[in-house]
Amino acid sequence: MPLVAAQALTKRYGPHVTALDDLTLEVEPGIIGLVGANGAGKSTFLKILLGLVPPTSGSATVLGMDVIRQGTDIRQFVGYLPEHDCLPTDVSATEFVSHMGRMAGLPAAAARERTAEVLRHVGLYEERYRPIGGYSTGMKQRVKLAQALVHDPKLLLLDEPTNGLDPAGRDEMLELVKRTGTEFGIASIVASHLLGEIERVCTFLLAIDAGKLLRAAPIASFTERTGTLGVEVEEGAAALATRLTDAGLQAKVEGRTVLVDCPDERPYDLVRDAIDDLGLALVRLEQRRHRLEDLFRAEERSEERSVDAA
Amino acid sequence: MTLREPAVAARESATGAIYDLGYRGYDGPRLGRRAAVSTLFWASLRSAFGLKRSGRAKIVPWGLSAFLVAPAAVVVAISALVPGAPTPFSYDDYLWNLGILVALFVAAQAPELVSSDQRNRVLSLYFSHALLRSDYALAKLGAFAAALFALALVPMLVLFVGKVLLAADVPQAFGDQLENLPQVIGAPVLFALPLAALGMAIAAYTPRRAYATGAIIAVFVVSAAVGAILGEATTGTIARLAPLIDPFVIIDGTRDWLLGATIAESPVHDSGLALWWFGAIELAIVLIGTAVVVWRYRRIAA
Repeated sequence: MPLVAAQALTKRYGPHVTALDDLTLEVEPGIIGLVGANGAGKSTFLKILLGLVPPTSGSATVLGMDVIRQGTDIRQFVGYLPEHDCLPTDVSATEFVSHMGRMAGLPAAAARERTAEVLRHVGLYEERYRPIGGYSTGMKQRVKLAQALVHDPKLLLLDEPTNGLDPAGRDEMLELVKRTGTEFGIASIVASHLLGEIERVCTFLLAIDAGKLLRAAPIASFTERTGTLGVEVEEGAAALATRLTDAGLQAKVEGRTVLVDCPDERPYDLVRDAIDDLGLALVRLEQRRHRLEDLFRAEERSEERSVDAA
Repeated sequence: MTLREPAVAARESATGAIYDLGYRGYDGPRLGRRAAVSTLFWASLRSAFGLKRSGRAKIVPWGLSAFLVAPAAVVVAISALVPGAPTPFSYDDYLWNLGILVALFVAAQAPELVSSDQRNRVLSLYFSHALLRSDYALAKLGAFAAALFALALVPMLVLFVGKVLLAADVPQAFGDQLENLPQVIGAPVLFALPLAALGMAIAAYTPRRAYATGAIIAVFVVSAAVGAILGEATTGTIARLAPLIDPFVIIDGTRDWLLGATIAESPVHDSGLALWWFGAIELAIVLIGTAVVVWRYRRIAA
């Protein structure tokens, strides 16, 4: 049974706004990154998975349950951390998390026990008895995570969990998300517009852009070596590229860098000799890796082209 | 799911071992939608009286409750000291005379139940649990109606208990007073339902507590004032029907219809309408108010 599956999932708001466009995917348990620019459809996707927003067409299942017909069943087993503030100010973290545990269907004693457990996990100690209104943003974010975890969900949906945090707070939150996934074994979908964060905690990546699925694959496949050598020189990149092409290599210029295809080790000597012959100042010589950003850049470029063509 | 492995680490030492049990999952029952609704109902009922809240949140509800009970307590005390003294209040007109306190309670506490969930956006968390939007609306409305019922019931019970215990023959008096039980319980019900529906229908429409309180007071004051002024300043049909704008007149008419005992100063009979009309209007207030609250929560962004 896949963790989440979607078939031609589409959501339109009115005739002009398409939040999700024909999304078909299937993911297995793990820490799944859902990445896309603001407005790419991440939050809409999460709300559909919770059964809160009905899709315009298509279907989706979460833990084998249908999002349209079994919304309340799904929500018993899912924890949700919204993107925005969502905490009352006048109750303590202990009271609030335990209340949310009971809302999730835990008996009273279990709710109390689990509250103590998850508050310890997210790192709230003495302050948990004080009203939430006085908490820092980082502490509030921990309470939000705690209320999503209190009923031991099978799936966590985290919408921009590092929203509003300073760099240290971000690091701590990401570490928590990672531990929740690895130590607790709770499958998570982490929506973020920051690729760097996704890269750090996730094992699988879903990239969406303008409601369309760009790619779904294990994170490693995005960052493996590409077999391309990047040669950055002070000036004369064009001359170097010509020289290397003449020598039978695939080379193209990108700014001050010449990208050379390296199927084997032969190009290294050729590159060295060419730079020496031309008397160029070499700045950097590196093995290129895929970066997650390339995914979106390639998409932008193809979009520009299609605009030009039109 | 194969991901979960118990993270058990033990550090042996000469004196013993420290076990870090790591994260423990939960395999117990998940009680589902009904538990969610009842949790919300009881939590809301408590918050209507400021229970489990700061002392400041208790001042208004407990103050109003005290003012509402005080006359009943005084009546009982006077009867105890001066046997045979005339009692200024009966079950029939107690709430009629002190309705303003119930109205103030509605204005002050209806927003307590609904405003902060909207203002702090806790709604999106509630909706992410195993309940429907209409469940949330009905649980809140039901909790508030229950709070108003409790509020109105306490002084009636004080009168009831006073009359029984101060009688020369307590068992005899208890038997006599049992006849009044429909009034004792029924009048608070007839008060609680329409006032809860009306108050919540207004309060659910704004996340700003002060606006909600102001709007509810305005509705009660304006309806009573318009009803009274039109009743005095005009003649004929308008004068007769004008008092019906006041929800407390509707409530009294319904009470009169179902439980009997006419109050002299109430304009119910001057209207010339059959009493069931009041019942019908009260029912309409309850149903429309409930529909408005449910509709609001169907539409609200969260």
